[in-house]
Amino acid sequence: MSAAPDRPDGCGPTGAVVVPCPVVEVRRFADWSLVWIEAPAVARAARPGQFVMLAVPGAAFALRRPLSLHRVHGDRVALLIERRGEGTRRLAELEAGAEIELSGPLGNGFDIATTCSALLVAGGIGVAPLQFLADELRARRIPVWTFVGLRGKRQLPLLTVLDLPRQTVATEDGERGIHGTVIEALDASPAAAEAVEKGAEVFGCGPLPMLVALRDWASMHHLIGYGSLEAHMACGTGACHGCVVATTRGYLRVCADGPVLPLQVIGERTLAARGTP
Amino acid sequence: MTGGPDLRVRLGALELAHPIINASGTYDVLAVAGHGPSTVPFSCYVPKTVTLEPRTGNPPPRITETPSGIINAIGLENPGIEAFIADLPRLAGLRIPVIISVGGARPADYLAVVRRMEERLAAAGAGRSPAIAGYELNVSCPNVAAGGLSIGADPEALRQLVSAARPLTARLLIAKLTPNVTDIVAPARAAAEAGADAISLVNTFKALVLDPVSLRPFLGNRTGGLCGPAIRPIALRMVAEVAMSVDVPLIGMGGVTSGLEALEMIACGATAVAVGAATLADPRAPARILEQLSAELAARSLAGLDDVRGTALRDS
Ligand SMILES: Cc1cc2nc3c(=O)[nH]c(=O)nc-3n(C[C@H](O)[C@H](O)[C@H](O)COP(=O)(O)OP(=O)(O)OC[C@H]3O[C@@H](n4cnc5c(N)ncnc54)[C@H](O)[C@@H]3O)c2cc1C
Ligand SMILES: Cc1cc2nc3c(=O)[nH]c(=O)nc-3n(C[C@H](O)[C@H](O)[C@H](O)COP(=O)(O)O)c2cc1C
Ligand code: FES
Repeated sequence: MSAAPDRPDGCGPTGAVVVPCPVVEVRRFADWSLVWIEAPAVARAARPGQFVMLAVPGAAFALRRPLSLHRVHGDRVALLIERRGEGTRRLAELEAGAEIELSGPLGNGFDIATTCSALLVAGGIGVAPLQFLADELRARRIPVWTFVGLRGKRQLPLLTVLDLPRQTVATEDGERGIHGTVIEALDASPAAAEAVEKGAEVFGCGPLPMLVALRDWASMHHLIGYGSLEAHMACGTGACHGCVVATTRGYLRVCADGPVLPLQVIGERTLAARGTP
Repeated sequence: MTGGPDLRVRLGALELAHPIINASGTYDVLAVAGHGPSTVPFSCYVPKTVTLEPRTGNPPPRITETPSGIINAIGLENPGIEAFIADLPRLAGLRIPVIISVGGARPADYLAVVRRMEERLAAAGAGRSPAIAGYELNVSCPNVAAGGLSIGADPEALRQLVSAARPLTARLLIAKLTPNVTDIVAPARAAAEAGADAISLVNTFKALVLDPVSLRPFLGNRTGGLCGPAIRPIALRMVAEVAMSVDVPLIGMGGVTSGLEALEMIACGATAVAVGAATLADPRAPARILEQLSAELAARSLAGLDDVRGTALRDS
């Protein structure tokens, strides 16, 4: 992989496969769809934290939508899609048997080559790429703790498709698990203390304010941390410089230098960017 | 393409295998092709606009989708001409000619980039490099406050820039026009009279989108440039107007997503057709457009593109 966060000028990922692939299984529930796609070339090359660009079915002209690889089994990849706007609504309505165009795998992914233990922290749909990461860590017999933060009752159905090791749930409305944000849960939970004790690496995905809080939490506990970021994208391959985020290392392309970046590079300018929710 | 219609076209002295080229800033052979230069679906490669000094570009967000289009405000992020030159060997394997897109905050900056590039190409043992066919002067980027807009929108300034650049190179010299003007013909005439070998049009249309929640400008630069199918009928009209007024070959662009739409550009007088937004939305679009163009000619029993060029402009 040529794209690394410390090489902001590096060329984008190469070898991205662009293919029409059959949808083999769809599980629709509440605001989400779990979509399994037969995509051998993508599945074989995939690493946790990478994403695909999915063509919006039935749209006359539309940019592709970036979606994380949620799971990989053999020749199949799963995407966990939250309905937000028109594009994700159409994607969530996919039926088994349909063909879908996708390019990928794209982005750098999580670097777990030297990881000895890992603390995974998700905010809402940010849990999508962390499932694949957890699966991969588990296969390598690396100890994993996971924390899933949800807004509240409406997001609880997400938990039904997850299979995360040593999972702690936090809800902001107190419907399930620890009452509070996922960061408050980290402060309160003995599982997090255990991870800190082991010097776990922290891997997070969720809204930017959550990642900022996670950056501060990780640094307070002297843990190395990484976060997977979001940005509006066009090419998804590093070519257009459209998806940059402002970091302490300057502008980095989420699609090619990321989406996974060290939490430390998230700075004041990252949050200040207009249009960021 | 053997046996099919003849798709070769000529931009001045430059012969191209077919008319489909990439719009500057929307395609990166190093990032996209991945499987070697032979898979590049264009007959010519135009890298992202390069400036004299490095530019960090605009604050994010820089790009988003609009109805039938894309709005962007990248802000000419590029590593500057020295880093661009240092990187040229990486393109050496490219089997298609390269046209260097040149930008600048002042006319002198454009000239310095062309001069520097010519020096490098003339230097003995300059190292590996792709075939540099010429320069496209991007006098049209609407995103840089102090940048090209004033030159592209001011026929006199454009005339002076092209006149000054002309003696610096024997290679192809192209002016890429901004559509953000009342009369597209005036700058086109000025560029052609000053010695441009060809004219590219159009760049993006200055536009605005709001964040639906905050009702504030969505892009970090506030305004951006609109491209894609939304602008195609306007781009087509501008290509037609310029084709009726100048004699140099045109590179038409703006929202082309199919072979038929490329053919329409050619019917309005374009010699080559550049594709930008369509490639961003679908990396396989350029190859598809080329196939469709060939099929369109065959279906109309046309032997080549000369039979179509400008047909929309005739009285009868
Ligand atoms: C690397 C990456 C991985 C992602 N993984 C997942 C995932 O696994 N599951 C999931 O449900 N969502 C994921 N997202 C978010 C998802 O891409 C957006 O929700 C989606 O693009 C919204 O499209 P829309 O048509 O529904 O919304 P609209 O608002 O109608 O989209 C308009 C335009 O804005 C873009 N856009 C809007 N919101 C976002 C956003 N949050 N991030 C990026 N682009 C946006 C769209 O792609 C489109 O170009 C990921 C985003 C990124 C960058
Ligand atoms: C992301 C993006 C970056 C662009 N960068 C440049 C650039 O660096 N130089 C330039 O001359 N035009 C640039 N353009 C404009 C395109 O080259 C082209 O003129 C315009 O997009 C219209 O064509 P299209 O509708 O096919 O995209 C850019 C367009 C986009 C979408
Ligand atoms: S979307 Fe990241 S560079 Fe184009």
